[in-house]
Amino acid sequence: MLSIKDLTKTYSSGVQALRGVSLELSPGVFGLLGPNGSGKTTLMKIVATLLEPDSGTIEMNGADLIKRKDHTREMLGYLPQDFGLYPTLTAWQMLDYLAKLKGVNRKKERHSLVDALLERVNLASERSQRLGEFSGGMRQRLGIAQALIGEPQLIIVDEPTAGLDPEERLRFHNLLSETANENTVVILSTHIVSDVSNLCSRMAIIRKGKILAACSPRQAVEELKESVWEGTVPRDRLPAFKSEFNVISLRTFDGDARVRVISKGQRPNVEFTQATAVLEDYYFDLVNRQN
Amino acid sequence: MKHSFYTSFAAVFTNEVLLSTKRVAPYVLIVLFAANKVLWWAKGPAVGLGWATNSDFNITRDYTGFCFLLGLPIFTGIIMGDPIVRDFRLGVDPLIFSKPLGRAAYVLGKFFGNFFVLVCCQSAFAITAFLLQWVPFSGMVVLPVRVVPFAKHFFLIVVISHLMLAAVYFAAGTLTRNAKVVYVLAAAFYPVYIAFELFVMKPLPVVFRILLDPLGFNTHREQAINPWQQSAEFLNQYVVTYDVSSYVNRTSMVLIAGVLLLIVCRRFSIAPLNEAGHFTGLKLSSGTERIAYAAPSVEFLDLPFEASLERDRITLPKVTSTRGRPAPFSKILAALGTEFRLLRAERSLLVLISLVILLSIVNLPPHSMVPEVSYSVMFATNTANTVLVLVIGLIVFYTGETIHRERELKVEPLVWSTPVSNSVLLLSKYFAMVSLILVLVAVVSLIAIVAQLLRGHALDFSAYMAVHGIVLVPGILFITALVVALNVLLRNKYAAYVVAVGVGAGLVYLYNTGHTNWLYNPLLYRIWTYPDLTTRPMLINRLYCLGLCVACLAVAHLFFPRKTR
Repeated sequence: MLSIKDLTKTYSSGVQALRGVSLELSPGVFGLLGPNGSGKTTLMKIVATLLEPDSGTIEMNGADLIKRKDHTREMLGYLPQDFGLYPTLTAWQMLDYLAKLKGVNRKKERHSLVDALLERVNLASERSQRLGEFSGGMRQRLGIAQALIGEPQLIIVDEPTAGLDPEERLRFHNLLSETANENTVVILSTHIVSDVSNLCSRMAIIRKGKILAACSPRQAVEELKESVWEGTVPRDRLPAFKSEFNVISLRTFDGDARVRVISKGQRPNVEFTQATAVLEDYYFDLVNRQN
Repeated sequence: MKHSFYTSFAAVFTNEVLLSTKRVAPYVLIVLFAANKVLWWAKGPAVGLGWATNSDFNITRDYTGFCFLLGLPIFTGIIMGDPIVRDFRLGVDPLIFSKPLGRAAYVLGKFFGNFFVLVCCQSAFAITAFLLQWVPFSGMVVLPVRVVPFAKHFFLIVVISHLMLAAVYFAAGTLTRNAKVVYVLAAAFYPVYIAFELFVMKPLPVVFRILLDPLGFNTHREQAINPWQQSAEFLNQYVVTYDVSSYVNRTSMVLIAGVLLLIVCRRFSIAPLNEAGHFTGLKLSSGTERIAYAAPSVEFLDLPFEASLERDRITLPKVTSTRGRPAPFSKILAALGTEFRLLRAERSLLVLISLVILLSIVNLPPHSMVPEVSYSVMFATNTANTVLVLVIGLIVFYTGETIHRERELKVEPLVWSTPVSNSVLLLSKYFAMVSLILVLVAVVSLIAIVAQLLRGHALDFSAYMAVHGIVLVPGILFITALVVALNVLLRNKYAAYVVAVGVGAGLVYLYNTGHTNWLYNPLLYRIWTYPDLTTRPMLINRLYCLGLCVACLAVAHLFFPRKTR
């Protein structure tokens, strides 16, 4: 169980990145959803011991992660949002190095682990290729592989699927689902809603350094059941319509505006039909209410 | 079209100047040059010999020295080497090249923007000299206030010489897109230029010496005045003029710079270089302001393909992680191995090491030299003195590269999130650098031993062990630790280079003026002889040097930006 309490962080520039963030995370994949600049990466960096919070605590199974950084790093697997690799090393050398730093000292074990990791992320045939020659997707896969070294109990993946093609994204989802077990807490930070709805048993929405909601994706969607409507509105009537209803998305369709509206218990007008609620609806409803 | 060129050129030029105003290096150079001029003005030979500080002779003499000394050609390399490489390194290139910007406007804007900054820095020397006309002290000879000679000679001696050098560095940096090539060129400047003067220019007739000299030194030298044989009155009234060959020399330097820039404009390509060394950090996430909402999440499950199930079934083997006491040792060995691997991949380092070996061979004692103690002592002492001076540059430059490598390559979050202590991270870099330099010392010593044996002198191995073990090794340990601490404290390798060069230049100046007290001379520059090596004061000095080394490493550890607790 990972417990985050009243975490705050203000950068020297005056930007308040976190304003009293509190979360309870049980084993499984936990999704942290929010737009860029919402404080996700700051939170991830603090949990990954790379940044000091101004105040607040983080505990995992009773151990203070902020005060016992070395202990935290022993059980941590971290895939940062923005990372590089040594361009002159090969994929195998890089993983071998990081495995040694993780304390995997038995040569035979380490070598078989590195081989298995490369196989797992589909880089076995590129094991001797220099990292400077890797494409963005290949580097990301290697980043995922290094996060899995040493059976981590806490895995933090920050924006992992951005930049991956659909097949690799699906593979990553499979990989992460398999990694999450009853002993592992996986924190997935993302701005892609489908990552959360496909992977996470629990989620939180963060915006401007504050947690707006924490629930399961199913609960979120349930909350909007029979409240989402879709229909067409003439362009000239759109401003009046927007002031009257909670419009969460808008597209141009045949010269008119095709809108998606949240309206609990009231159909906006007869031309509107009920739509299946999805996680995005919940997010935008929440953001609109905050605004 | 013309209008477009000028607008783009002006935009790039202005931006380069603006970027330079945000950097520390130009300000440090300005202070360094101005301070140096004050030093030359107050302590130079002019005061003692009665030369007017604002005479033509003294102005050109100062400018010529300034042009060559103080590491100015190296600073030119540092400023002019990477303006374009920087855009690629920072990943700004797609933003710039997706605009309707002409190649010539971009390249020339970059060059002249940075050259303007360089000239501004250099002009601190000339402006200080000009202003000092109003503040003479007692005994100093000053002619009535003069303006034109300061500007004219500055332009002809300093600006034009460095225009050509700047074009060489700029062309090398831009066409290879590798700033390290420029640094190697800059580091090689002095040996190459001195060798060029000695072996190519010296035997040539006067007119060719004037025409071919890139820095224009021979221009004045051939006007046949020897200041030490002339009276102060003569020198103070002496007017430095430039004859046709001098103007041809200066014009040809401008033309060479022009041709180089033309080549850069023609050959410069925005296409990515196809080499492993060219590496940019990973930036996969797009800068969205809102969450992605392109497709409802349910659709994602209907993708028309499936991931390979076979691959997903691969299970990761169970591993045992070592914790406790043996862990730091094995981690330091792992980190050391990787550091060596990374250093080995630095091609410029291999070039510089070869250069050090070559220079140490050139600097072997001549056949005619008679030893005071023994041939082994003479060879060992000579090797130690040569190597120490040469490796300081290597240590300063490559320790900076090593310390900041993780941050520059964005590997920091991967390495720093592993359970490895700061001492492991720091000491692995420190020992990698020290080991590399010690291997270099061993190679150079071996060459000296072979040379000594080939000349038929008996070998006393203990002399090499004593000189290198007592003088060289502690010096290398200390200087590397000092540079590590400097890089950790300043958090910027360029600032560390400038401070290291500045401190080094200041100390050499102090030592050369007779201030060689061991308290601020841990490298024992000019204060030891072979018989001293086994004395008690030497033991204390070496312990002091090692103590400083430990103190520097402790400071580096204390201020290391990663927190462990």
